Amino acid sequence: MKGIILKNERLNDKYRLMEIESPEFVQTAKPGQFVMVKTGLQDYLADPLLRRPFGLVDVRGNTFRLLYMLVGKGTRLMTESPAGSVIEFSSSLGNGFKSVKNQKVALVAGGVGIAPLLWIAKLLKDDGCSVTLYFGGRNQEDIILADEFRPHIDKLVITTDDGSVGDKALVTVPFGQDVKGFDRVYACGPKRMLEAVSGICVKGGVPVDVSLDERMACGMGACLGCIIYVREGEETVQKRCCVEGPVFDGSKVVWESVCR
Amino acid sequence: MSVLKVNICGVEFKNPVITASGTFGYGLEYARFIDISKLGGISVKGISYNEVKGNPMPRIMETTSGMLNAIGLQNVGVHKFLKEKLPLLRKYDTRVIVNFWGKTIEEYVQVAEVLDNADVDMLEMNISCPNVKEGGIAFGSDPSMTAKVVSECRKAISNKPLLVKLSPNVTDIKPFAKACEDSGADGISAINTLLGMAVNIHTRKPYISNVTGGLSGPAIKPVAVRMVHEVSKVVKIPIIGMGGIIRWEDAAEFFLVGASAVQVGTANFVDPELTLKIVDGLEKYAESQGLSNISELTGKVDLSK
Repeated sequence: MKGIILKNERLNDKYRLMEIESPEFVQTAKPGQFVMVKTGLQDYLADPLLRRPFGLVDVRGNTFRLLYMLVGKGTRLMTESPAGSVIEFSSSLGNGFKSVKNQKVALVAGGVGIAPLLWIAKLLKDDGCSVTLYFGGRNQEDIILADEFRPHIDKLVITTDDGSVGDKALVTVPFGQDVKGFDRVYACGPKRMLEAVSGICVKGGVPVDVSLDERMACGMGACLGCIIYVREGEETVQKRCCVEGPVFDGSKVVWESVCR
Repeated sequence: MSVLKVNICGVEFKNPVITASGTFGYGLEYARFIDISKLGGISVKGISYNEVKGNPMPRIMETTSGMLNAIGLQNVGVHKFLKEKLPLLRKYDTRVIVNFWGKTIEEYVQVAEVLDNADVDMLEMNISCPNVKEGGIAFGSDPSMTAKVVSECRKAISNKPLLVKLSPNVTDIKPFAKACEDSGADGISAINTLLGMAVNIHTRKPYISNVTGGLSGPAIKPVAVRMVHEVSKVVKIPIIGMGGIIRWEDAAEFFLVGASAVQVGTANFVDPELTLKIVDGLEKYAESQGLSNISELTGKVDLSK
């Protein structure tokens, strides 16, 4: 698919927010899904070669948004795509978050893991849920999009490693103290954080859905580069993060295989 | 599209563009993204007799104009493939080549016997995967072993044409190609991935849990073109060329050095529509060259000074 970049906004030195117009894409996209973006943009022989997966922030009218962190050549190239230019990407991929109604929900995000939680926050709020967002980062630079959440959440708890904004703590600390007050948890962020959040939820008896991020070549279930392991009854089974995920039941994930 | 119609080992393909094993799953993964009936053929993920779970993660890493993989020949096993995957794949109008492998000669023969009676168009022996400890590359890196495993499988296969997929991880590929032809192979697939390695300088650890992996993508194309050219000098059987094809121009190069068809691999990850673009590009190129059939291009590289 192709779309027109409407905005490619610099949030700070580390993060950018891209808004892409694509009436075709938005028809099928769901919260928690992801998209593979061709970062070489014009030339298939350009380096980098492969597409990159990005979680969908949200869909608004004919546009969708992607949050991206500058980590390598691919994302650097994305910064060089001005408004008005064409970008190539896949259709919406994977299974997303499933919304619930009239429940007390916690969202737990770490850094760029905030990306797929905005859309589900909106849906949850519309469906009568009370929503608390726990948002952690290394420093103030990681605390992005928080203002966009405010209309869709009841409470915001921010933590940073250096205390530059919010409490100086890991996000799992305040969340762990409050966990028993929730009916359901959705989380996205670093794997160690997701492991900790899942452990807290299991201990507290609260269902938890985590959105995982694995290196993948195709995003379509063919390359088998993004295998994760989950427990099904007595068995440990393989799942493709791209097709069966990226959202999994955090209590079933075999974390020692994911946090390598 | 008759300009692109080719006959490989007695099997007619509507066009010479085939998706390479290991990059297109069982075909079905891509069916919701592209019309796979427009492909000349699909070489499905390497099938073994029993199910294989593959290597630990991480299994893939992007490198400059390429990628390393060490998936470890993960597959559902031949019986599950025939029962659950093949009937769905056969609903599409494309040729089905089944790539197969074993850890021992007996295992190669075992899976070959099953596939010989299956509803598939062609078999492709993988003696060249660099990512499994047993079998695979061991058979592809010693010409006498190559001859032995090919001749044993040849005895077990009477209903299907037999391709053998060669490894580039040898000093000289020619004796291997010749051994395949002499042992009863109907065609050669060349090349598989090149053995490679990438290291994270911050952690000082290899990116891939298997330490080494198979390098594919545009980075390997010149090596692949050279090897197909070398193979074409020593065998008369058809060659299916592959290695780094991402544009129709790449495919045309392989024809010129001796290929009768091509397989496209890593490009499927880059963009699943690239194979169809290669089909279109080849057709236009063949017509612009005044060819009545793309096969007229095979081996027509001009080496004159």
